[in-house]
Amino acid sequence: MLDRRKILAAAAVGIATPALLRRAWAQQDAIEIGSLVSLSGTFANIGEQVDIGSKVAFEHFKSAAGKPLRYVQLDDQGDPGRAVRLTQDAIRDRGIRFFMNCTNSAIALAVAKEVASSGGVYINQAGADEMTGSLCNKNTFRWPVATYSAVNTTVRPFMKQFPDAKKWYTITGQYVFGDSLLRNLKDVLGEIGAQHIGNSYHSLSDREYSGFITAAIAAQPDVLCICNFGSQTVDVLRQAVSFGMKRNTKIVVVWSTGLDQFQSLGPDICDGVYFGANYWHGVDTPGNRLLTGVIKEKLKVTPSYLLTAGWACTQAMVEALNKAGSTDVPAVIKALETLSYEGPTGLEKVRPEDHQVLKDYYLMVGKPKSKMRDKDDFVEVISAEKAFLAPEKTGCKL
Amino acid sequence: MSAQVLTFGALNGVGIGMIYFILSVGLTMIFGLMQFVNFAHGAFYMVSAYAAFAVAQWTGSVLPALLISPLLAAIFALVSERVLLQRTYNLPHESQILITFALAILAQESMTMIFGTLGKNVPVPEVFSGVVILGGFVYPSYRLFVVGVAAAVAVSMWVAIERTRFGAVVRAAAENPEMVGLLGFDSRKVFMAAFAFGGALAGLAGALAAPLRGVEPLMGREALAIAFVVVILGGLGSFSGALLAALLIGITQSLMSMIWPGGAHLMIYGVMTVILAFRPAGLMGRA
Repeated sequence: MLDRRKILAAAAVGIATPALLRRAWAQQDAIEIGSLVSLSGTFANIGEQVDIGSKVAFEHFKSAAGKPLRYVQLDDQGDPGRAVRLTQDAIRDRGIRFFMNCTNSAIALAVAKEVASSGGVYINQAGADEMTGSLCNKNTFRWPVATYSAVNTTVRPFMKQFPDAKKWYTITGQYVFGDSLLRNLKDVLGEIGAQHIGNSYHSLSDREYSGFITAAIAAQPDVLCICNFGSQTVDVLRQAVSFGMKRNTKIVVVWSTGLDQFQSLGPDICDGVYFGANYWHGVDTPGNRLLTGVIKEKLKVTPSYLLTAGWACTQAMVEALNKAGSTDVPAVIKALETLSYEGPTGLEKVRPEDHQVLKDYYLMVGKPKSKMRDKDDFVEVISAEKAFLAPEKTGCKL
Repeated sequence: MSAQVLTFGALNGVGIGMIYFILSVGLTMIFGLMQFVNFAHGAFYMVSAYAAFAVAQWTGSVLPALLISPLLAAIFALVSERVLLQRTYNLPHESQILITFALAILAQESMTMIFGTLGKNVPVPEVFSGVVILGGFVYPSYRLFVVGVAAAVAVSMWVAIERTRFGAVVRAAAENPEMVGLLGFDSRKVFMAAFAFGGALAGLAGALAAPLRGVEPLMGREALAIAFVVVILGGLGSFSGALLAALLIGITQSLMSMIWPGGAHLMIYGVMTVILAFRPAGLMGRA
C-alpha cells in the first residue's frame, strides 16, 4: 500500500532520474563541450560571431578521442554572474567538464575559477593579463596573446619603420584591459626612448570622443595610439580620422579585431592606419588554409577574428582530447600543456608554465581602396611576431 | 592648458551640443505637446540610421537619406501612433513607457535580424569629407554641416511654432485640447501630425549621425539616454530649454574631456544633478 514516505521517495527518484539519465547518456555517448557566449546584451555582436565560429569547428572536427562532439551553447547575456550560474548548472545537471569561449575578460575570469574548482578544462579568448598571470589556474588556457605581447609586437616593429615618431599620445579605455595596454605601452616607449606626452581616459559608456581628440590634437603628437577594444576602437578611430588626424599624425590601434572592425570603418578610414591583431585571414599557413576553406564553404564569408577565436578554442580542445585519447581531465590538461599544432596563425604551442598559447601577433597597415584585391583585402601585414613575457614575470603560479 | 586649447574645446562643445539638440528636440516636442513619454524615440533614430546606411549603399551617398530617412521615420511614427500609441494617451506614464519600450526593442531586434549584429559604416559624403582649419583649430567639415542643419532646424521650428497659425493651433492644443476642438480644429489630427513630425526629427538625427558614429543595433538606446538628459535638463517640453541644455552638456563634455577625461561622461550627469537641485523643473521648464 502506498504511504506518504513511498510517494515522496518515488517523486524524488522521478525528479532525479532525467538528470541522472541525461548525465549518464552524455558521458557515454558524446563529449559535451559548454560554450560561454553572449547572444544578447552589450556583447551580443561579439558572442554571436564566436558562437558561429565554434559551431562551424564542431561540424568540421565532428569527434575527438574517438567520441562524437556535442556543442552546448550557454548564453550568458554578457553577465559574469549568469555565466557562472550556467557553468554550475552544466556541471551539475549534465556533467560537462569541458568549457570554452567568452566575450569579455570578466566573464572568463569568473568562469575559470568555477571550472577550476569543479575540476574541468576551460579554453578562452580573454584579453586581460591576469588570465595567464596572477589569476591563472591549472585548468584554464588562453588562445589570444596577452596585452604585453600585443603592445610589444605592435609598437616595436612600428618604431623600426618610423624611428622619428617619438611623441606618443594615447586614448585609453578606463578598464582593466585598457589600463594593461597603457601600462605595457609606457614600458615599451621608455625602453625604446620614445616619449608618452599625454593620455585621455574614456569610460566604457562613452560614445562621443571629439573632446579627447581635440586634446590629442592640441598636444601635437607624432603618434596617436588607441588602447581600448570593440566598438569603442571603431568610434575613436572614426572620429580621429574625421578630425584630420591622419594628416600629420600616425595612428596606431594596438588591439584590433581585424576584419569585422575594418568592415565597420570602411577602407577610407583604415587607409594608412596601423593595427595590431591576433589574426588575419590573408596569412598563408596550413591551419589558416583549412580554416578559411571551411568558413568560406559553410558560411560564404571570409573569416574574421571573432569567428576564428571560436574556431581556435574548439580546435585546441579537440587537439588536446585527441592527444590525450580520453576525456580524463588530468590527461587532457597534461596533453594541453605540451600541445603543439597547426593553428590559424601557424604552429601554435601551449606554454606549460602559464597555459598561454604561443602564437603570432600581427602588425598591419590599412591599404588604399585602389590597392585592395577584393572587398576584404583591407590591410597589408607588416610583421608577424611572438613576444611573450617570461613565465617567471607573469605572476602565474600553477 | 592654454586658453586657446580651452576655446577650441568650447567650440567643439557647441558642435556636440547642436548634435544633441537635433537628437532630443523631437522628444521634447512630443512630450510638450502631448504629455507623452516616448521611449521609442531612440528606435526612430536607429531605424533611420539603418535607412541611411541602405540609401548610402544603394546610391553611393548618404545625402539623399537626409530626405528619405526623416520621411520613413515619420511614417513609422505615424503608423505606431495610429495602430498602438493613440490608445495609450489616457493611460499613466508608466504604461506609455512600457509600450514604447517594447516598440523600441521590436525595432532593435528587427534591425538585428535584417542587418546582423555587427556595426555598419556609412561614409561621409565626398563634399564634406575634409576638415576646416581655423587658426590651430581643426574641425571636420561634416560636423560643421551637421551643426548648420541643427541651427536651421532650430530656427525653422521656432518660426513654425511661434510665428505661424499652425504653431498657434499646436500650442493651443497642448494647453487645452477641448477648447481647440470647440473652435473647429481636430486636436487628434494635430497630435498625429506632431507625433509624425517628432519622428521625422529623430529620423533626421539618425541620418545625420550615421556617418559620424556608424550604425549598429544598440545606437538607439544610447541616443535615448542622452536625449532624455537634454529634455529633463532643459525642462520637459521646452524647445528653447532643449537647445540651452544641449549646448550646456556639449560644452561640459568637451571641456571635461580636456580637464578631467575620465570624468567627462560623469560630469554630464553631475551638471544635471546640480541644476535640477536648484531648478527642479529644468532650465526653462514650468514648475
